[in-house]
Amino acid sequence: MKREFADRDELIAYLREEFPEAAAVDDHVSGTRGGRKAAEEQLAKLGKGKDYEASRNYVHGPVSRLSAYIRHGVLSLAEVRDYAVAKERLPEDAEKFVNELAWRDYWQRIYDDIGDGIWDDREPYKTGWHTERYADEMPQDIVEADTGLPCIDAFARTLVETGYLHNHVRMWFAAYVVHWRRVKWQAGARWFLSHLIDGDPASNNLSWQWVASTFSAKPYVFNRENLEKFTEGEYCKECPLYGNCDFEGSYERHQRRLFPDADPAVFGDGRRGPGRGRGRGRR
Amino acid sequence: MTVERTIVWVHGDDLSPNSPPLMADSGVPAVFVFDDELLREWKISLKRIVFMYECLLELPVIIRRGEVAAEVAAFAVGHGATRILTSRSPSPRLAAIAEQIAESSGGRLRVEVVERTPFVKTARKLDLKRFTYYWNAVKNDVLGSQGE
Repeated sequence: MKREFADRDELIAYLREEFPEAAAVDDHVSGTRGGRKAAEEQLAKLGKGKDYEASRNYVHGPVSRLSAYIRHGVLSLAEVRDYAVAKERLPEDAEKFVNELAWRDYWQRIYDDIGDGIWDDREPYKTGWHTERYADEMPQDIVEADTGLPCIDAFARTLVETGYLHNHVRMWFAAYVVHWRRVKWQAGARWFLSHLIDGDPASNNLSWQWVASTFSAKPYVFNRENLEKFTEGEYCKECPLYGNCDFEGSYERHQRRLFPDADPAVFGDGRRGPGRGRGRGRR
Repeated sequence: MTVERTIVWVHGDDLSPNSPPLMADSGVPAVFVFDDELLREWKISLKRIVFMYECLLELPVIIRRGEVAAEVAAFAVGHGATRILTSRSPSPRLAAIAEQIAESSGGRLRVEVVERTPFVKTARKLDLKRFTYYWNAVKNDVLGSQGE
């Protein structure tokens, strides 16, 4: 295939012609450029570990945006770790960021052990619903960004148009698909792999399983308050559903409503919500 | 004495110019093949291909598309090579392609997998049931092994 192009536009036009099936799936192009040079430029923008730790869960927080480069091996986890630690006076100051890098190493090790088993439920759902009660396919209104929920529709559009979602957004979106719409996590994971430029079957599928509860002790849910806080009101401020949306109320309310038949012991030791386990896989 | 000729098979899990197989034997012909079947099966959208292609344009690699095993084998044969270097990956699909290359050539083509720099070196068997078990086991090594 061709290697010489006058500019990015010419490259994109060439690839649209060469890969018409991929363009038919969706023909947007990410603003994130591929290549080692772009990767090094992005790495050079890495902030201080303590700032990352304090605000990484905010959708406009100082996340590294290195995931696509790491996924395709353009940067190795080891060199990103070394760079992050070398920036700090104390290695411990980079610990949270390095911990997030470690999630990828963890997923890769599991992939190495179980291979295509990453497509199977690792454990039963802890939701009280049997696997058969979940739909096999993504609902059209979700993939067409037409649910009527401004936040969810914006997330779907962002994924399709940019190939990237902040990790916290991935978790809210996955929770909505699996728990609010009762769709098998595999359907959502497949859709993400179509679009995410950092789409890696291990990190992607096992993260979906973590939200679904097939690879965690309890299902992950969120509420409007949590989404509003970490998006800094971006979607809620002018939302016509404000005060009356699907995500209103306490975690306990959502758990009772979404999982009426769950074993009470699943939620017996506290509720999964803010501060518990968020931010996996963010780089 | 005959010298065994080598090619490098670059795959999507290692698109770095510092990829160990490319560094191991610099100057040898290298090939990357877009896996048509996988692109179809995963319904890969254009933006993912553009990103990967931009990575590939910085590598000294011939870019092809089609059936990966057949394309890599043909590339090796075309260069009179019998040894194929490639990067380590956990992907079962890549492992199956490597086997297919060897089998379809009746063993004349040999795929050698080159290890990549590990995030953490540990001889211990790690408990992967939950991230916490893994993290507690590796944390000190991960934070203390930089610069090696």
